[in-house]
Amino acid sequence: MSASQAPDTRVDLAGIPLRNPVLTASGTFGYGSEFAPFLDLRRIGGFVAKSLTLKPRFGNPPPRISEAPSGMLNAISLENVGVDAFIDEKLPVIPDGVTVIASLFETEIAGYAAVAERLSEEPRIAGLEVNASCPHVKSGGIEFGQNPKVLAELVRSVRRATSRPLLVKLSPNVTDIGEMARVCEAEGADGISLINAVQGLEVDPETRRPVLSNVLGGLSGPAIRPIALRMVWQASRAVTLPICGIGGIATAADAIKFLLCGATAVQVGTANYLDPAVAGEIVDGIEDYLKRHGIERVSDLVGALEIPPDRRS
Amino acid sequence: MADPVPIRTDAVVVENRSEGGANRRLRLQVDGWRGFGPGQFVMLSPGSRADVVRSDPLLPRPMAVYRAAPAGAGAVVEILFKVSGRGTGLLADVLPGQRVALVGPLGRSFDLPESGERAILVAGGTGIASVYELAARARANTEVSVLLGARTRDDLMGVEDFESLGVALRLATEDGSAGEQGLVTALLEAELAVDGTARVYVCGPTPMMRRCAEISAARGRPCVVSLENTMACGFGVCLGCAAPLATGGYALVCRDGPMFDAEQVAWEGLP
Repeated sequence: MSASQAPDTRVDLAGIPLRNPVLTASGTFGYGSEFAPFLDLRRIGGFVAKSLTLKPRFGNPPPRISEAPSGMLNAISLENVGVDAFIDEKLPVIPDGVTVIASLFETEIAGYAAVAERLSEEPRIAGLEVNASCPHVKSGGIEFGQNPKVLAELVRSVRRATSRPLLVKLSPNVTDIGEMARVCEAEGADGISLINAVQGLEVDPETRRPVLSNVLGGLSGPAIRPIALRMVWQASRAVTLPICGIGGIATAADAIKFLLCGATAVQVGTANYLDPAVAGEIVDGIEDYLKRHGIERVSDLVGALEIPPDRRS
Repeated sequence: MADPVPIRTDAVVVENRSEGGANRRLRLQVDGWRGFGPGQFVMLSPGSRADVVRSDPLLPRPMAVYRAAPAGAGAVVEILFKVSGRGTGLLADVLPGQRVALVGPLGRSFDLPESGERAILVAGGTGIASVYELAARARANTEVSVLLGARTRDDLMGVEDFESLGVALRLATEDGSAGEQGLVTALLEAELAVDGTARVYVCGPTPMMRRCAEISAARGRPCVVSLENTMACGFGVCLGCAAPLATGGYALVCRDGPMFDAEQVAWEGLP
């Protein structure tokens, strides 16, 4: 490859063509337009919008967030405008050429399917991501993603409701992530996204009370990155489904680690709060890396982790 | 006038000095600055993102814009803050020439008082930093009284700046080391007893703002409060800074505020 030739950053994630492998994660990117002052949304591969339910939802009372070493805990409880307001008000203001993936959740499997059907009518939406993993909703996410039988039923039901590209976002709060990945593959998902936030707890010793009103929260940020990398790598060995890697990504180097461990694309999450333009810089950094290493296609990095022969188990 | 579109940039430290006690005055050269409205804030993280990816503490800190003056390709933006933990401690250590990541200005600004309508600004502790610009702009078309309170003289900030604005200034400290001994809320009660026609603006600790809201309501005066809350982003996506509303549901301090009409706030639900 000559130095002047731009590397090919395009990837296909579960049937969704992306101009580069850098997406932004649901719940950390609003409905996209909040970032317009800081970032040309066409620079990144696309974004996953905040998780939607059939009806609008209020979140938890404050305190909803707490800082943690190299991370943060949150218990927002999936506050959102509801699927109709998203389609009528949020989607139309997203510029053409921006890839939008819709995230969805509900408290019942039938509800998931209903939201999926509604979203599938929208040609502007490139694909769906089922949030099977939110760790702080008492009656929602956690049960779906933690029990393989329930997860199977969920994926089967949503799969029947949509013919659009279907990603399932997995919880890290499980013993065997490979088993959950295989369930998704068997039930017809087109890809998996992992990891969601790691369940955590913070306490104020002076008051003897939990810091968050919800007691438990989801830990995100660089603190969880090694856990996420490990799980992406394990999932990539368990299934042939494309994987979208998520967890503490703040730099191009972080993103590349996930590609090497088997992710086809990545999602930038908590780092968007710190720097609303960071996803664009990660795109630039990946291109620099490809040029520096003389790599023609970013997809050549996927699963290219090299483990010395004497360390293989 | 609409608030300016926020920017995200690396600001360069011009000056960082002690303001007495644990208070600091930070002056930043911010190229590309498009102005700000009174009461708006910025998110600050010590260090340039291009140089080092700092992850502990992870989150930027919301800081009121104290004032700004055109300079170079933008403005020198001034921040007054109190060192209260690791994040503000790192900001206290940045040296002239070093960089600070900045996103802003964010939030809705204070609506200025109507021409001829008297304004009473009440601020406590670090809340003082949120009302200087309001005092400076309101003074142009109306009579302004500023009531500042803190625990001790050392906890007050910006007093000389307010003095040079030419506003009516009264101080209160809990230990009596500056101004009158007692709470700044007592000064508000006295002011409204003399002249009950003012518009009241408040920024400070939650109990102080709540008390000011009660005092204003008892006199039938409009009261605007500037709320604080923990936030990760400052521009409406983390949803961390929810403030409960009297009518039910939540507003975001960063996007819907930080200014609220006091009667909108469900005080008992604030953290």
